[in-house]
Amino acid sequence: MTASTDFAGRAVPDSAAISRRFRRQDRLFFLLTLGSATLVVALLLAILVVLAIEAWPTFSTFGLSFLWGTTWSAPRDIYGALPAVLGTLISSLIAMLIAVPLSVGIAVFLTELCPARLRRPLGTAIELLAGVPSIIYGIVGLFVLVPLMQSTILPVLMATVGQLPLIGRLFQAPAPGIGLLTASFVLSVMILPFITAITRDVFNTVPVMLRESAYGMGMTTWEVVRHIIIPYTRLGMVGGIMLGLGRALGETMAVTFVVGSVTRLQTSIISPSTTISAQIANSFGDADGLQLSSLIALGLILFVLSFCVLALAKWLIGRTDSF
Amino acid sequence: METAVRSSIMNRRYRRNRIMMALAIFSSALGLFFLAVILATLVFRGIDAINLDVFTMSIPAQGSRGGLVNAMYGTVVITGLAMLIATPLGILAGTYLVEFANGSTLAEAAKFINDVLLSAPSIVIGVFIYGAVVVPMHGNSAIAGALALALIALPVVNRTTQDMLKLVPNALREATAALGAPRWMSMTMVIYRSAWTGILTGILLAVARISGETAPLLFTAGYSKFWNTGLTGPMASLPVAINTLAADPGPDLKRLAWGGALIITVAILALNILARSLAGRRSS
Repeated sequence: MTASTDFAGRAVPDSAAISRRFRRQDRLFFLLTLGSATLVVALLLAILVVLAIEAWPTFSTFGLSFLWGTTWSAPRDIYGALPAVLGTLISSLIAMLIAVPLSVGIAVFLTELCPARLRRPLGTAIELLAGVPSIIYGIVGLFVLVPLMQSTILPVLMATVGQLPLIGRLFQAPAPGIGLLTASFVLSVMILPFITAITRDVFNTVPVMLRESAYGMGMTTWEVVRHIIIPYTRLGMVGGIMLGLGRALGETMAVTFVVGSVTRLQTSIISPSTTISAQIANSFGDADGLQLSSLIALGLILFVLSFCVLALAKWLIGRTDSF
Repeated sequence: METAVRSSIMNRRYRRNRIMMALAIFSSALGLFFLAVILATLVFRGIDAINLDVFTMSIPAQGSRGGLVNAMYGTVVITGLAMLIATPLGILAGTYLVEFANGSTLAEAAKFINDVLLSAPSIVIGVFIYGAVVVPMHGNSAIAGALALALIALPVVNRTTQDMLKLVPNALREATAALGAPRWMSMTMVIYRSAWTGILTGILLAVARISGETAPLLFTAGYSKFWNTGLTGPMASLPVAINTLAADPGPDLKRLAWGGALIITVAILALNILARSLAGRRSS
């Protein structure tokens, strides 16, 4: 086959060669993208494998009883996860109890009440709360909220809620200001913007027709929210709440500053306590041997916890409209 | 009589409505109040520490002059390295999931796994990099810190790329294919270009997120008072420096911590606003 030339004698590129080259380049591009996508999957597996290997000495020493062991003592080399796990669960739960109603309130304001001109700036301001680094929440919590808790909030709580039967016990203890309840307050402010953003977005998915019909029937704004918007968006809201919960479970620096780092089971929620992430952040630096392995085991537990919460959230939201 | 009953019901409904709406307004005011308290505290406590020294000198010993320039340098270097790793990988992975494997069971599983990584606790990422990089390398290093942050940024970039590529109309893909362009050329010359503001927004938000992270750097990049440029040695970053200095009993170093807190917060919030205005321009 002779090389074809155009009227001026220049070589015309061989179209078969070009198409071969294109196919080769496409193949390379495909493999690059495939490799990157595979890497993401491999990274998750690597995290699980590395954590499991490093945590192995703990589980082979204590068995599964590590999960409900209540003692964490470096001098005696005995480690149990229960105080930290309970601290994480309880502080996240209290944070949710505070943040969820507030977030729904803000979402109602942003979608139903707010003048259209203010909607964007106000929404952005709330979202900026999510942009503030967690270490900032930590130091502001320690230097602003903790003194306030110690001087005012905790004494008032102890004098009122602390006198009630049953739950009163939760509020009776020497209260230095740092503790699980303080951590919960900080956490609730941190997860507020996440839940608000998702709640607002799902509120906006309610068809205008449905909303306007309800107003046209003479329903008040609250009745529209209560009987039309919330039932219509229930699943999405719960999904958003679960994502907020996932955040709260894994939050580290903000909690570490204000929780007090006392690794004991406490009967009161105002006492200094600990959480999984605070325990790791505090002790990891100078831990070795079995203690290091136990801290990594705690990390594994946290990872599994947040994985379960996320999976539940995904299942509830459906993938398309999450975040 | 009947109207009296009806109006009492109406009154009750309106009263309840007013109470609930007042609560909604109160929640919003409270949210703004939290933001205001945080910013006011940072400005009030941090502004004293902002002077030329902060931007020119390294972290001092107790009682001597100094600044945070080594920590700022560390934050820029570690964040920059992390984004250099995470951005191409994230975009390529997102491309595969949307352009080549969209809808397949495997791709759905990979998307789910990406979302798991997206919401993985950052301290766990730090622990993982400690086990996978710091222990084999026998010590803290800037590289380990960058890898930890890259692992946090990667799922963000991946997810944004997926979402943005899905918004590109299929007609563009068909038009480039009809012109005989190979897939990679169609992607780089047409599809990425029409999605780039969205992807850039995601990249900026990822930078904003990782540059404020402390937990994954504590045991990976570590902390140093000195001007270190070696990537295989420990390197301070602003958040870790704040974490260390805030715990110092002396007032000087504590003030420096507040100065650092003000700087990093202003920088990150500015990045957030920049990213959002970019996203807003696209949607309008």
